[in-house]
Amino acid sequence: MTLSESIFENLRLELRRGCLTLAVLAQLRQERYGYTLRKALAERGLEIDESTLYPLLRRLEAQGLLASEWREEDKRNKRFYRLNEDGERMLGQLLEEWQALNAAITASLGMDGIEAPASSGDASG
Amino acid sequence: MELLERYLEAVRKHLPWERQDDILAELRANLEAQLEEKEAGLGRPLTSGEMEEWLKSLGQPIQVAAGYQPQRYLIGPAFFPIYWYVLKLALGWAGVIYSIVTVVTLFAQTTPNAMEWVGAIARIPWVLMMTAAWVTVIFAAIEFGVSRKWFDKRELAGTSSSWTPRVGPPMASKEVGGNKPRSFAQAVADVVFGALFLGWFLAVPSHPWVILGPGAYLFRNSPFQLAPVLVPFFWWIVALSALQLGWKVVDLIRGTWRGRDQLQHLVVTVIGLIPLGILLCVPNHNWVLLKHPELDRAKFGVSLDQINSGIYKALLLIVAVVVLQLVWEIVRRSLEAYKRRVAAR
Repeated sequence: MTLSESIFENLRLELRRGCLTLAVLAQLRQERYGYTLRKALAERGLEIDESTLYPLLRRLEAQGLLASEWREEDKRNKRFYRLNEDGERMLGQLLEEWQALNAAITASLGMDGIEAPASSGDASG
Repeated sequence: MELLERYLEAVRKHLPWERQDDILAELRANLEAQLEEKEAGLGRPLTSGEMEEWLKSLGQPIQVAAGYQPQRYLIGPAFFPIYWYVLKLALGWAGVIYSIVTVVTLFAQTTPNAMEWVGAIARIPWVLMMTAAWVTVIFAAIEFGVSRKWFDKRELAGTSSSWTPRVGPPMASKEVGGNKPRSFAQAVADVVFGALFLGWFLAVPSHPWVILGPGAYLFRNSPFQLAPVLVPFFWWIVALSALQLGWKVVDLIRGTWRGRDQLQHLVVTVIGLIPLGILLCVPNHNWVLLKHPELDRAKFGVSLDQINSGIYKALLLIVAVVVLQLVWEIVRRSLEAYKRRVAAR
């Protein structure tokens, strides 16, 4: 990996980190367990590693944004997560922030006449 | 499935023990669901090789488990800049103190040989390593305390909400001499090290080993003793250090720690000339005396004269350097004041 690829990779991971949390919160408006959540994110173009997603769910729950319960489904005990009230509120705030950021960046690119460079690499992480 | 079980057991070993079972049950459920889907897609169970490839793609067990651990640092980003500053300061002082102690110790003996010098130099890395280790241990303990919420991280790191941009001197005096403004951590470290120095220096009369190291023993058993005239010199240094420390504490309390106080520096330099003057005015330049002059004069008289002559030369050099610094400081300040007056017209 060249230096510029390595810098890009670090910046890309930084950029994705916050977005992934937002995407996970958004998906958990509907109750899901870890694997189905991962599949739902992948179907929407957000590949995420197991080793990133599952601990993230635990952290979000510890932060009081998710509620979870163990339940049997297909003869197997699974831990289902869902956004709680605080999580809903947080998601709303984060979405506002995200939209403001998005609008600001889009406006900056438009005003400066800079075209977004062609994307390279996948979106896994 | 056996490989999956082995994989999960390997993950278990690195999980936080109080949540091991719960995390592992969840991980197992997720991985089994994924495996079932894979096998349903293929219409057959995974071969041993495919299973191995899949498990490898999940990551090493220790890395998977690490995601469930709380974020831990030996010294986290909040304290690292302070740690780095204190470490540099401590290493610098350790080097200086060790050098002084070693030189005094070696000269307290008759004539140090080359091997003793080499030995003393070879011990420098060890002294620096021990100093660094102690500073690191102290900061790691602070970080540990913060992670356990024993202390408030923002208060300790000087980033509390009580901070305001008013903490600091006016811009005009900030960049005098091109010096960078001091951080709060540096100001606190200055006070801490100033207090430590004062405590250390006050301990010298009763515990001379703190300045001479093993040389204190040699000196006590040598035919030499320090002249009583050094007592007022000692108290002048104490007073000077106390004045500097008090000034720094007042700066911290008033919130004017950001600048390097030029006036303070000037006053301390001028007052610092007084104890040097006291030393230079010692009659016959006898800073070191013989304990039993009538007995030892013949044997150690020449050494005594050499020691006192060496001290005299060193003192002259120090006074010359201090006076030159003072003159340079006065000239520089005058020029800056002149420039400011011209710019204000």
